Amino acid sequence: MPVISAAIDPITRIEGHLKINVNIDTVNGVQQVVDAWSQGTLFRGFEKILEGRDPRDAPIITSRICGVCPTAHGKAAALALDNAFGVTISEPARLLRNLVHAACFVESDILHFYLLSLPDYIRGPEMAPWLPGLDVGTRLDRRTEEGLRGHYLQAVALRRKAHEMGAIYGGKLPHTPGFIAGGFTAVSSAENKTAFQALLDELTAFVRDVYIPDAQVLASLYDEYFSIGKGYGNLISFGVFRQSVGGASTLFAKGRFVDGMAGVQPLDVAQISEYVTHSWYADSANNQHPSVADTVAQHPKHDAYSWLKAPRYSGANYECGPLSRMTINGDYTNGVSVMDRHLARAHECLKILTAMQGWLAALPVGVSAFTPPTLPRNAVGVGLTEAPRGALGHWLHIEDNVIQRYQVITPTCWNCSPRDEAGQRGPLEQALVGTPVARADQPVEVLRVVHSFDPCLDCATHVMCAGAATQRLELWQPPR
Amino acid sequence: MKLTRRSFLRYSGLVFAGMNVSSSVLAALERQLAKATKPPVLWLNGSSCTGCSVSFLNRIADSAPETAADVLVSTIDLIYHPTLMAAAGDAAASVLLRAYHEGGYILVLEGGVPTAFNGNACVVYSINGEEVTYMQAVTELAAKAAVIVCVGTCASFGGIPAAGPNPTEVVSIHELTGRPVVNLSGCPVNPDWVVWGLANLIAGAPVELDGDFRPMALYNRDLAGASVPALIHDKCPRNSSVNPSAPPEATDFGQDGRCLINLGCRGPATKARCEGCWNGKAGQANWCIGVNAPCHGCVEPTFPGPESFYQTYTV
Repeated sequence: MPVISAAIDPITRIEGHLKINVNIDTVNGVQQVVDAWSQGTLFRGFEKILEGRDPRDAPIITSRICGVCPTAHGKAAALALDNAFGVTISEPARLLRNLVHAACFVESDILHFYLLSLPDYIRGPEMAPWLPGLDVGTRLDRRTEEGLRGHYLQAVALRRKAHEMGAIYGGKLPHTPGFIAGGFTAVSSAENKTAFQALLDELTAFVRDVYIPDAQVLASLYDEYFSIGKGYGNLISFGVFRQSVGGASTLFAKGRFVDGMAGVQPLDVAQISEYVTHSWYADSANNQHPSVADTVAQHPKHDAYSWLKAPRYSGANYECGPLSRMTINGDYTNGVSVMDRHLARAHECLKILTAMQGWLAALPVGVSAFTPPTLPRNAVGVGLTEAPRGALGHWLHIEDNVIQRYQVITPTCWNCSPRDEAGQRGPLEQALVGTPVARADQPVEVLRVVHSFDPCLDCATHVMCAGAATQRLELWQPPR
Repeated sequence: MKLTRRSFLRYSGLVFAGMNVSSSVLAALERQLAKATKPPVLWLNGSSCTGCSVSFLNRIADSAPETAADVLVSTIDLIYHPTLMAAAGDAAASVLLRAYHEGGYILVLEGGVPTAFNGNACVVYSINGEEVTYMQAVTELAAKAAVIVCVGTCASFGGIPAAGPNPTEVVSIHELTGRPVVNLSGCPVNPDWVVWGLANLIAGAPVELDGDFRPMALYNRDLAGASVPALIHDKCPRNSSVNPSAPPEATDFGQDGRCLINLGCRGPATKARCEGCWNGKAGQANWCIGVNAPCHGCVEPTFPGPESFYQTYTV
């Protein structure tokens, strides 16, 4: 059998534009993925769009990097501004930022499991956009499948309610205007706390009684996915949800977990650099720390295949996301795989909802959440936080009162990055290698691995594929 | 759980009364929905953030289609949506090919069109192994669409990706195609505006547009459908000339309930029915100003512009 080269384009049920190329071969009697290329196919150039603007605009502009994780960018930008302006935010600001950001985690997690991932395992309602569907097999009995389909429709409503909860203080979601340098715009009242509490309780019940059990059902029926999609097994977290205004403690700790090493390793962001050897950017930007990096698009470019850069930590690959946060925090210990990612995300969602109860209770009524900052003429700032899908960093350089340079490293840049200067695959590419594929013309297994990372490519990303292909296969050709 | 077109119609009188749509439009919608086939809807994302799709999912109303699920099941035939559809790869792209050959679909576009790098800053799918840019896809699919609906400010006017030096040379759908469009601007678009737009278009109702190709009913009237005022500031409860009991204007952030005109609010230059219509039932929910945040004018062709969001906005 020749090696089969298959392109899946578009990868649907993600945010943004992604194409996956895989080579499939039979190794030791098992047909499997033997190589993979992850190709981000959208570039917008947010860093350039920000140059010359009022620095305070950064949360508003960067929120629009992503409609699914807008609060992560709004918060990262606000943190970078706080840092640059030298302002310590107030306790109400900390609580409001945590609550609105957390509401978007809950929304994103429910969206991801039910709307984006579940159609890899069950048949949806028999109409568009769920038809044409995938051949997902018949492992689920009818009752289980109908139950999950009902929960899918329920999840449409519950994810909306998570946004309604966040919008009580965020004003509107996606794209809240609430995150500002020095704090948050909203002021709480007894009425809006009660409204928030009601939605928080409803969502907590759904996640505890429906989402987590559903994830467990899926994990038990597809338990081979505990040994599929591991990849490098290195995990990274920047930490998120501050526990006090001045302190460094966060609900999810920052750190690194290195495959094969005991314990959690420290995080030193100075060790992060980005490679553009295989990205559509000028090589002058290669191997630079984000605080000094520039973004000069170059297309076409020899050997490049993605609009994503390739971030590495001390030259090594790291995966980020709920599994990374939960593992580094000691809340999850089972391993690294497709199903571990789903289970960690579900359990993390409940942990966040539980923490929200405390933040809401502590939120004082009628107190301003704004600390007026003094705007410096020249300054630098960094904002590190977590989006639902992983580690997010904003690096800001202010000169003559305007943004002189801005750099963003998104979670999906870590997870879906292309090869680096040394030729190492990105984490998703590596995780795909070894994935068994029953039908090479319908590699649903590839989608399951891809979706477990919850890719969000609205952050950068194009591609031409390299690879020793001898046969091109067209996938999922519908009946004529 | 399954909803029918009939249940949609039973409630539609209520929602459209609130939206100031005439009974003749309702009758036309009923005739259209009663037909065996309704026009398929193709929804493509270009230089966007997916925020308008997410916002669409936030649809909630007292009357059907109450939710996004109801819209999908009962109102429209959404055959292509990259975030929601089950199919991937060639099976997904083939849906577009077949629709293109038949023509007559409603083409919903989210995101402007990057024209730099020969369109390669945004590749949306592959056909027979060949990558198709958003620029190619929009050009070809627009030619055989019954109507083109631009959701969000990016598709309508270019939006944030077209701001500053416009690194990928983004243009709006109308600029690229030169064709008639219905612009439903907003960053993101409001879900009720999408539902209103699709329902009216499916019914074949005439939709009166303003100079920016936006429905007059959504951007130039107040929530009750009155022809004035359209500007947010002119109907804002924090404006003392609208509400004599409003407190003085805010001088800095954190002052609850005050007019934000000195903090960069673009309400005096922004026409939209935003008041109380975000993340909840229209008229009962929240909006940016409701959390003491200035209006950023996100529905306007001038968004974001080079101006600071936090200095007094001069019209």
